[in-house]
Amino acid sequence: MVSDALVVSGLTKSFGATRALDGLNLRVVAGEVRALLGENGSGKSTFIKTLSGFHEPDPGGTVTVEGEVLAFGNPEASRRLGLRFVHQDLALVDKLSITDNFFLGSHFPTTLGTISPRRARDEVKRALESVGLDADPRTTVGELAAAERTGVAIARAVHGLRSAHARVLVLDEPTATLPDEDVNRLLDTVRAVSARGIAVLYVTHRLDEVFRVADSATVLRDGREVLTTPVADLTLEDLIRHLGGDQQVRPGAATAAARIPGAPVLQVDALVTGRLRGVSLTASAGEVVGIAGLTGSGRDEFCAAVFGASERAAGQVRIGGKVIRSLRPTEAIAHGTGYVPANRRRDASMPYLSARENVSISRIGEFWKFPAIRRAAEKMSVSGWFQRLNVRPPDGVEREFRTFSGGNQQKLVFARWLRREPRLILADDPTQGVDIGTRALLHRQLVEAAERGTAVVIASADAEELAAVSSRVLVVRNGRFVTELRGDEISVSEVSRHLVNPKETQEGPTP
Amino acid sequence: MSPTNGGTSKRRLSLGFDRFSGLYIWALFIVVFSIWQPHLFPTGATVHSVASEQAISGILALALVIPLAAGTFDLSVGASINLATVIVTWLQSSHHWGMWPAIVVTLVVSAVIGGLNAVIVVVLHVDSFIATLGTASIIAAIQTIVANNNQPLPPTSTAWSNLTQRDVAGFQIVFVYLLVIAIVLWWVLAHTPVGRYLYAVGGNPEAARLSGVRVGSWVATSLVASSLLAGVGGIFFASLLGPSLTYGQGLLLPAFAAAFLGSTQLLPGRFNVWGTLIALYVLATGVKGLQFVTGVQWLNDMFNGVALVAAVSFAVWRQRAAVSVRRTAHSAGAAPHEPSPGTEDPAAVGLTEEGE
Repeated sequence: MVSDALVVSGLTKSFGATRALDGLNLRVVAGEVRALLGENGSGKSTFIKTLSGFHEPDPGGTVTVEGEVLAFGNPEASRRLGLRFVHQDLALVDKLSITDNFFLGSHFPTTLGTISPRRARDEVKRALESVGLDADPRTTVGELAAAERTGVAIARAVHGLRSAHARVLVLDEPTATLPDEDVNRLLDTVRAVSARGIAVLYVTHRLDEVFRVADSATVLRDGREVLTTPVADLTLEDLIRHLGGDQQVRPGAATAAARIPGAPVLQVDALVTGRLRGVSLTASAGEVVGIAGLTGSGRDEFCAAVFGASERAAGQVRIGGKVIRSLRPTEAIAHGTGYVPANRRRDASMPYLSARENVSISRIGEFWKFPAIRRAAEKMSVSGWFQRLNVRPPDGVEREFRTFSGGNQQKLVFARWLRREPRLILADDPTQGVDIGTRALLHRQLVEAAERGTAVVIASADAEELAAVSSRVLVVRNGRFVTELRGDEISVSEVSRHLVNPKETQEGPTP
Repeated sequence: MSPTNGGTSKRRLSLGFDRFSGLYIWALFIVVFSIWQPHLFPTGATVHSVASEQAISGILALALVIPLAAGTFDLSVGASINLATVIVTWLQSSHHWGMWPAIVVTLVVSAVIGGLNAVIVVVLHVDSFIATLGTASIIAAIQTIVANNNQPLPPTSTAWSNLTQRDVAGFQIVFVYLLVIAIVLWWVLAHTPVGRYLYAVGGNPEAARLSGVRVGSWVATSLVASSLLAGVGGIFFASLLGPSLTYGQGLLLPAFAAAFLGSTQLLPGRFNVWGTLIALYVLATGVKGLQFVTGVQWLNDMFNGVALVAAVSFAVWRQRAAVSVRRTAHSAGAAPHEPSPGTEDPAAVGLTEEGE
């Protein structure tokens, strides 16, 4: 008789009018590995943050861990009941040893007030072995392979020194940033944890892993559980169908279908950078080219390298026929390119400058007439963009950029480039972390720009987004474009299906 | 007064106790010392002497504002101003150069020093704080080589002394020079694209680069400009007070204090010209008043040190207060449309980008 490790019933969490979780039910038994799947915005991260005590859910729902009721909104209570979390950011200090990382934030074992290195080491050694890791605790974390680092974070999460036993381990996309060859080792670690009777909630976008490591799978959509099944009864096609829901029709106004592309604007030839191993692409005026790929495929490196934000190892980029050198954003901009980076905070925001300054920086000369920048004209122009993109608050032109919500900040970044009427827009995950309304608005902007003759290249982790805006989709796998989908071939399920190598999953469904 | 709002709507309504605090304190100083020392303090002579004595410090503080706007430190301006003083007098008195050639060569040397800073910071990617700390020491060494550790004799030409030893409406002309430099710099920083680029670089160099700003060129330009302006200050000092081997380092800290305190004034969070001058004269007024009250020697150092620490603490506190208020708003559900707060952690912005 196995006991219930985690029981969730009727869990609801609203943000204003939006329900991120809508009466979620879930039951996981001790030692079970449960894959938790769902598109972006399906409620996975809200669920995890509710378990960890970051969010307080709406009244009514309950969570019990081995029969004990969880007090919400209190990270310490979550920990006491035995909930453990390993996020994508592992929270390890690269420069310190494994041992130091283990005891940061808890207590080193001491003898008469002095740290006892041997006891500390032995303890860490045991913790590592218990999850199947064979590493010297004195090793600096920065020297470890990516999978081992994740393993260390897992070992630290489940080892039972400081408080109660770990009962449920939540892994939030642990393989998202791992190279393929490291994934197997991590999956071994997960199996070792489950063998100790700890339930594992395994969040992933890599569908093949579901078949390789999970006992059962739960699919979330719109904050609800839409499927829970043993993996033995599951096929990849089922899974994709449940993930995408009934949205076989392409959502949004973006019927990019019947557009005839114009002259080529962007020509990329044999581009090599990071994980990308020689990709070529031509984007023409009036088309929206989607680039799909799992995290780690190299998808997220394409736009930055083309624009010049990151270095290119090889390959040629031409915009409007002109060769653009590596690491020269000014050249790309001069030839009519706009770039929406994935990491807004790091790459696109000047947080303490006003919205006005953030928007007009892309072309300030327009307002300059000796002896001064014409502030009134500048303000009026930016106000126009506030209206056009429905930026809130509408009178916030002079407010500091950081005071805007994420979605509105993203609108300002769009305005920065749209006002230049670029002939090429490179957008990297342009709607991550923004609400649904803003997302639709930004998609419309991209499609309308294309209709005016701009070439748009959009790289996204989100198949739904690509299906909504693209006139063709290129799929990246292991650093290469492997498939091209056009017109009617483009759908959420079709894109998702190509993200994973079919060969990897054929051997999958073994119990 | 809430330090949290970034918008102007509230700012306009308030009396601006944060952004105009310097002016209030200034008024307070003037009232208190006028009552305390009614015969000595509130006189034309006091006004003239405070204005003129601080002119060189003011030029140095303005020199600092340029790279600071671009998020770059220039700790070498103290050494630069010193070297300029020594070179411009040495060329005239020991080598019998004319005044103008001596001035031109001095400015060229200053620009070269700025260029050296620029190469180290922009090309070699050394943090500007460290780079200019190093060049400051190198410049001091060069100065010793040039002067052979002897203070050069002051030049005797009248043109040279007329450069600065003149009064305009009771103020020494260096104060007028300071105002002219301030107006030009204010125009550049607040009203031309150059200023926009500098502040953009200071606001986030990576975002600026990806918006098409030539970050390296602007950082380099700002360092050359600060060295040049330090050179100008050095020339005025030499003409006004004669050569000195050591005064420059003593001006560095007050200049930083004024620039940082100035960044809390008028346009909080932004290094700006008029805020810097207000800060400079608030501090100078306080010191002057206290000098009438007591004759102790340590006043100046104490005042400037306390002011620098207080100014930076205030700026940090302001940002942190803004962050914690936003946090509370989040958890109270006031900002509901962000289901993934992990992507927008204001604390991280506040703490890591808190360059001031």
